[in-house]
Amino acid sequence: MCGIAGRILAEPGRVGADLVKLMHAQRHRGADSTGFALYGKPLEAGYIVRAMTARRQNLSADLEFFLDLLREHGSDFLSDPTHDEADSDHVSVRMEIREPTSVTDWVHQIDEYSDRIEVQSVGRALEIVKDLGGAAEVAEKHNIRDFIGSHGLGHARMATESDVSPTASHPFWARPFPDVAIVHNGQITDYYTWRARLERKGYRFMTENDSELLAVWISDRMSQGETQADALKRSLTEIDGCFTFLYSNHDRLGFAKDRWAIKPLVAVDSNGTLSIATEEQAVRTIHLDEVEVVNFDGPSLTQTWQTHSSLDRAA
Amino acid sequence: MNGHEVRVANRPLRECNQAIRAGIESGQPVTVTDTRSRHNLGIGLPAGAEVHFEGSVGYYCGGLNNGAHITVSHNAGWAAGEAMASGEITINGYAGMSLGASMRGGLIHVKGDAGPRCGISMKGGDIIVEGTIGYLSGFMAHAGRIIALGGADEACADSLWGGEVWIAGPIASLGVDSKIAQPTDDEIEQIEGLLASRGLDNGSRSWQKIVSAQRLWHFESRDASAWLMI
Repeated sequence: MCGIAGRILAEPGRVGADLVKLMHAQRHRGADSTGFALYGKPLEAGYIVRAMTARRQNLSADLEFFLDLLREHGSDFLSDPTHDEADSDHVSVRMEIREPTSVTDWVHQIDEYSDRIEVQSVGRALEIVKDLGGAAEVAEKHNIRDFIGSHGLGHARMATESDVSPTASHPFWARPFPDVAIVHNGQITDYYTWRARLERKGYRFMTENDSELLAVWISDRMSQGETQADALKRSLTEIDGCFTFLYSNHDRLGFAKDRWAIKPLVAVDSNGTLSIATEEQAVRTIHLDEVEVVNFDGPSLTQTWQTHSSLDRAA
Repeated sequence: MNGHEVRVANRPLRECNQAIRAGIESGQPVTVTDTRSRHNLGIGLPAGAEVHFEGSVGYYCGGLNNGAHITVSHNAGWAAGEAMASGEITINGYAGMSLGASMRGGLIHVKGDAGPRCGISMKGGDIIVEGTIGYLSGFMAHAGRIIALGGADEACADSLWGGEVWIAGPIASLGVDSKIAQPTDDEIEQIEGLLASRGLDNGSRSWQKIVSAQRLWHFESRDASAWLMI
């Protein structure tokens, strides 16, 4: 069933803490894994890379390998990478890198080595952090509550269609589009048809997860000049399935809900801020007073909201 | 505040429901506060109970109702009054998807709108919605009445098996295997009488009564294409 959430703040603040609240209140919707897509203070140049290595004992060798490959693409570390200090075999790594000559070419090559190190997000502001377990556990391990940023997404997963693993967790990055993330509650029934079409256009998928497909599908439409709002609307008639998903890039966060109206979504939209989640009780952990809650219960719905990221000003 | 008060906030659900029952057993009306849209509040309550929820409630509020009178001051999430047998539930705001799903008796009265699949699979009782009812309302209902004063969204009364859907406003579209029947004056009088008992007197409504077209009662697989929606 899965639970999803999104949050937009009026100005940069504790968006991580809010998303943990939203996800903790929906932990009963799935505790296979929990993940967050967080938009922090944007870099003026270069990218933040979030990645996961498979074996803690090989971490230094893997990072060295990663750096060598970065350099082949005209990039470099801007500072020393940081990583979690947990006991798990897999390691979450955060890097700041100089802009590669081509993000697409570099990601395409590093993806060949995803069994050693898998890139999970690339962006000026976006950081995707995900792991096995519930919201509290993942928040503690990866220090999500202290994250300062403008907006973000959250996901609690009950796996129905593909593997349970740290790398198969949501949110998904729309590789190779910087700063694009998705969280999704549902199933896409024409997944393989669309995947084949997108692969023929050169896109690559790291998982068998239909949510990863949605992220790339919307981004592909946008790369052809459609607005986020138009691409979301198009998904209602072109993609078959039972879905509600949230799509975010640096400046806009939106949702689409299919024509069958099965997967719930509610929002509190006030004064330039937004709390949006699968369940109303989740948004009420942010808004304790009686507030107007919009229920997106109907079929074939989309909407987008402006975020307050400083990325546009920085760029 | 009169009677017994139960504050929900972050308390464990079972504790809240036990406190509601303890209040009912003391013979007093119960007011439930700080509800925070929590799910499964006030389930299987007995006849004679009077329970008021101050705020919005989550999924399945008043489910399996066995005769209690329940009110909600704001909104209710999915499937309020699910499978209720008797009693009354009044929701002052909006009621989410699948209101009164599989209910067998009693009355649900919503003062705002109701979401999709209102009265899905209902087997008896009445649902009154002062606003509109959502997409696919009355889906596969077998008996009972859904009455909407404000109108109905797409696919109204889809696959209706039995029972009646009464609409006093615009209908976006009818679902498969349902049809509009001409109501008799007696039938209209009955509906208006029920509404008057809820303080909804109005002599000038224009009614459309929807009933099953009964073709799906004898489903033949060779006719499947007639029922496909895509």
